[in-house]
Amino acid sequence: MTPSAVRSLLFIVAFLAAMALLPAFIRSEFWLTFLILALYTASLGQAWNVLGGFGGQYSFGHAMFFGVGAYAAAVLQVRFGINPWVTLGAAFVLGGATGAMVGALTFRYGLKGSYFALVTLAFAEVFRVLANTFEFTGAGVGMMIKLAPGAANFQFVAKTGFYFTILSIVAAGLMVAWWLKHSRFGAWLTAVRENEDAARALGVDVFRVKLGAITLSGAMMATGGVFYVQMFQYIDPPLAFGAGISVEALLVAIVGGMGSIFGPLIGAFTLALVNHTTTELIGRAPALSMALYGLLLIVMVTFLPNGLIGGLASLARRLGLRQRSGGDE
Amino acid sequence: MKQTRRIFIKHTAAAAGAMGFPLIGGAQPAPIKIGVLHPVTGALAFPGQQCREGTMLAIEEINARGGIKSMGGAKIQPVLGDAQSQPQVGAAEVEKMNEQGVTAIVGAYASAICLAHTQAAAKYNIPCIIDQGVAEQIVQRGLKNVFRFGPGYEKVVRAGINYLHIMNTVAGRPIRSAVLVHEESLFGTGTAQQIARDLPAMGYEVLETIKHANPTRDFNNIALRIKSRNPDVVIPSSYLNEYVLLLKTLKQQGVAPKAIYSIFGGGGSNPKVIKENPGDVDLVLDCNHWYNPKNPKSREVRARAEKKGLFFTHEVLMAYTVTMMLGDALERAKSSRREAVLDALQASTWSDHIMPYGPTKFVNGQNEGAQPLVTQYLKGDVKVVLPNNFAEAEAVFPARKG
Repeated sequence: MTPSAVRSLLFIVAFLAAMALLPAFIRSEFWLTFLILALYTASLGQAWNVLGGFGGQYSFGHAMFFGVGAYAAAVLQVRFGINPWVTLGAAFVLGGATGAMVGALTFRYGLKGSYFALVTLAFAEVFRVLANTFEFTGAGVGMMIKLAPGAANFQFVAKTGFYFTILSIVAAGLMVAWWLKHSRFGAWLTAVRENEDAARALGVDVFRVKLGAITLSGAMMATGGVFYVQMFQYIDPPLAFGAGISVEALLVAIVGGMGSIFGPLIGAFTLALVNHTTTELIGRAPALSMALYGLLLIVMVTFLPNGLIGGLASLARRLGLRQRSGGDE
Repeated sequence: MKQTRRIFIKHTAAAAGAMGFPLIGGAQPAPIKIGVLHPVTGALAFPGQQCREGTMLAIEEINARGGIKSMGGAKIQPVLGDAQSQPQVGAAEVEKMNEQGVTAIVGAYASAICLAHTQAAAKYNIPCIIDQGVAEQIVQRGLKNVFRFGPGYEKVVRAGINYLHIMNTVAGRPIRSAVLVHEESLFGTGTAQQIARDLPAMGYEVLETIKHANPTRDFNNIALRIKSRNPDVVIPSSYLNEYVLLLKTLKQQGVAPKAIYSIFGGGGSNPKVIKENPGDVDLVLDCNHWYNPKNPKSREVRARAEKKGLFFTHEVLMAYTVTMMLGDALERAKSSRREAVLDALQASTWSDHIMPYGPTKFVNGQNEGAQPLVTQYLKGDVKVVLPNNFAEAEAVFPARKG
């Protein structure tokens, strides 16, 4: 393992340890919920980051994987009485399989850039229409999970249960990102992102690498869907496959810094804080708070093209804290 | 007189005492915090804001009358929350409201948000007064903190079909076939499913059920399909914008069924709609939440809302009424403790309201007496036409010969 890999691994472990200790110091349920929702968004952003950030394949339809996970959890519980913890595994596999299917169909025909983005958007819409049509997904009425509080049912009575669950999902996401940053597969994926033709010329199997990335990304995104269903216990086609989820996932990764380990996490916390602050400042004029939120987003994306993590790295260099550009570790 | 230090201190103490006296002698009781949770941004911003306005209208009225008298005139202080049209944000707002010490929460318009926010509130035993969420599951999960004043959608759909059958029978059965048009989410799909199930049992033929997306900006194809099926009645279950657009398109395409009758129609009983589109929606019938027009107080409340520049839609109406019901519960609870308010709501027999419900009676969180009314756009306004004991005008049925 390179010193850089060890350093970033230690950083991840330290971060997770700090986050694990955090609930002991938080007395406010609101702030605990805030952390849960920020971590949940970060997990979606990390899933998008695997394909979009590391692989340069910008998906506008990641909601399809989220929805597959959410519906897998809901259908398996409601229709077949399967324990939600088991559905987590099933959703992971189904999300990955969906990713593999979409990847096989799109990458096989060389779709990339805006074409790939549009096709993923279309796929998400197809899934939304299908979920809206079939009775076994509850059609337009959606599906509701039976209220049965208890850790065995993945319905924690104490918020800390959800906190540690989503923290574990985020931890797994961070480890995947770390692995991509320091593994051969990650190097292939980055090579594909930087120059697909050059990567192919160097012997990288571009199709298989992209297929692997979208499969992994889909599986991770589906896990977020299961978490959502267990926490809020209701899902319908617009909630599961709507553009909102896709935008949320890509936004936190773009704002935080694409292709970095901590980018989605930083982006998720920053956006959650900005949203909270603007709402608190001018909550009585809700349209204004949304406008301010939008304005801040425009400013961030315009002046920090490499995301917040890129901005922080550049600041560190200017202050002489870092000698070279070395990613985000 | 020379201003010595002693005189200055004496005068300052006297002034401070005089200023402080009313605060000590006639101390104002602590305000009662009420969470006002609605989706005021996002896709549901307009109805959400209408709900917020309705709640504020009631809070202003309660406070102007001297607050909660059994608590020494304690004023109600709204704690505003925005669910941003997302269930998870609604649930997070509950956490914030809990920490701000709210006694109860009024909200949250959409069924999906209501499902999430009531569950989050159950953990803290916060009474949740549902203003609009009509999905039956909201009151079927055994949560003891949920109180829905208005009817759920199963009851409204059942009543709506019965009222249609009554009007049709009285008119000599001119209506025999129907086309259902519905939006694709819980509200439209659930309503259309139940109508499609119940209508044939009463001798009507459902020629076709047409689903449309949200938003839909062109109803020409749907209008032409309806034209080709030539139904006697069109039954739309859509949100406001799509509802109005569908009706306008039907008119443009020359589709003139004998009646347009909606159940929970997004624009079927909305003063704004008839004011802005008189020629397009005239004589449309709707079975929905509406006030008792025979209660003189209804007009007073409506006038007060309109004076504030509000359209008196059923969102304003329901949010206003449920907040007044909460005011009554607080008065009887004589305490802002959540348990006391829960008990007061459970025992509520409130009848001083403008809805056609009679005294409240909650069974498993559902007000048993809640019922919808049938309204029709007549003479540029929304008029109640059924049931007869609340009717202010006779229904024009069928609206056209077809």
